[in-house]
Amino acid sequence: MRLRVALLLAALALLAACQPAASTPSNSGSPSASASAAAIAPSSSTTPEPTVGPPAALTIYGAASLKGALDQLKASYETGHPGTTLTISTDSSATLRTQIEQGAPADVFLSADVNNPKKLVDGGLADGELVDFAGNLLTIVVPTANPAKIATPVDLARTGVKVVAAGDEVPITKYANQAIGLLAGLPGYPADFAAKYTANVVSKEDNVKALIAKIELGEGDAGIVYVTDAKASSKVQTIEIPPQANVPAVYAGVVVKASTHLAAARAFLDWMGGAEAQLILTELGFSPPQT
Amino acid sequence: MIVVLAALLGLFLGLPVALLVGRALFGGSLAVALGSGPVVDALALSLITTAISLTLTIALATPLAHVLARRRFRGAAIVETIVDLPIVLPPSVAGLALLLAFGRRGIFGEPLASLGIELPFTTVAVVIAQMFVSAPFFIRAARAGFLGVDRDYEDAARVDGASERQLTWAVTLPLAAPALASGIVMTWARALGEFGATIMFAGNFEGRTQTLPLVVYGEFQAGDVDASVAAAAILVLAAFGVLLAVRGLRWGRALDLRGA
Repeated sequence: MRLRVALLLAALALLAACQPAASTPSNSGSPSASASAAAIAPSSSTTPEPTVGPPAALTIYGAASLKGALDQLKASYETGHPGTTLTISTDSSATLRTQIEQGAPADVFLSADVNNPKKLVDGGLADGELVDFAGNLLTIVVPTANPAKIATPVDLARTGVKVVAAGDEVPITKYANQAIGLLAGLPGYPADFAAKYTANVVSKEDNVKALIAKIELGEGDAGIVYVTDAKASSKVQTIEIPPQANVPAVYAGVVVKASTHLAAARAFLDWMGGAEAQLILTELGFSPPQT
Repeated sequence: MIVVLAALLGLFLGLPVALLVGRALFGGSLAVALGSGPVVDALALSLITTAISLTLTIALATPLAHVLARRRFRGAAIVETIVDLPIVLPPSVAGLALLLAFGRRGIFGEPLASLGIELPFTTVAVVIAQMFVSAPFFIRAARAGFLGVDRDYEDAARVDGASERQLTWAVTLPLAAPALASGIVMTWARALGEFGATIMFAGNFEGRTQTLPLVVYGEFQAGDVDASVAAAAILVLAAFGVLLAVRGLRWGRALDLRGA
């Protein structure tokens, strides 16, 4: 008996090993078929009137920087769409994308960038096209007491300043690194500004909310976040990034192909681009979508 | 019927881990990850930090375990409960508690910071987190080991004129050795697997605070499932080795007893 169980385990391990190592979720269709499906699906920019989908229980995966906004958006949407309930899950867009690729039961994915939802489209895991629904800008945050006495962005490169960042794949990191590159080109910034900033990074947090928590606690001296995160926190001071070095973030959403409520999911995503959602987002400091 | 249920549970417990290791070994991700990158850095960091935390734990926790085993004092039960607490606490709670105590604005952290010593985001913080969650395992095992030493042997040595120091080194510690050894192995395993307290208190930075369990999480988050699987497989193999070692120690002790 023992031997047989052991043999069975060994056989199953071998079986697993024979499967391709790359993550190929079972629900992906053939790439060409999904690409043509994406092409003929109506994009939100051509249908400004939000459609009313059938009532459904939707699971929304949203970027960490949308956390506060999604609480308000959920309340507003559920009031306007009786019978529909939204379950919100927030984390870094990169994490959420990975989870969806691994088969997580999301209906709509709201990302803090274009790159992550586009990867779902390219992988045949999305239904229809991307919808731009918001924008954002970057700012530097420091603890209220400002222990490192940060006065301008140039101080981020001073030796000994503890900069808290997020993981390399997290959208805020990509935007922040672009901004650092632009700052480095401004007059008054040392030639090794970007290198010294990178050397000052003491931790790469999971997402932008975990990053700002380390600043609020006073453990980190400074970090680059979205202006909406800074606005939502009462425990940080902001140091402005000059407009010529700021990087506009583009938030894009997509309907997950594996959703069992495609129509309701599409209706919610279209609503995100509509007047009601835009009013909530603008009040929280998000900029309107570019299109 | 019972056999079927038992077999199903056995499969449930063994299969996911077996599949993980199978994928790492035969799917090639282990070979790729061991070639370069964060997995190797994290493996080195994990080995170094656990070696330090284990050494410190043995040095500091052995006397405490001895006191708890040999002296009867008021409040012993409370001390034992407090010492056991990290075993049942969620590691994220331990991390938050450490951050509030040793962080820059913490009770101990603030005076330290004024001396220029800042613990969060350093390798030292990784060691502290590992000690905090793993030391209780050693204290428990060592205490049980000392309790298992027959007082008659110690008294006999005393009658023969052994000093307390000689008694400890020549009688008590050797007799408690098997229990201490299995405690050491379990403590190391817990330190190696430490995740929640580390990511909360020490942060996550390659080569400095990113240990193997943080790579499992971080690389998965970043979408590199293969690197995640490779790091996980290393941890599984280490855990497997630990359990085999503990069994070996017990078996060895059983033989000793039979021989005696």
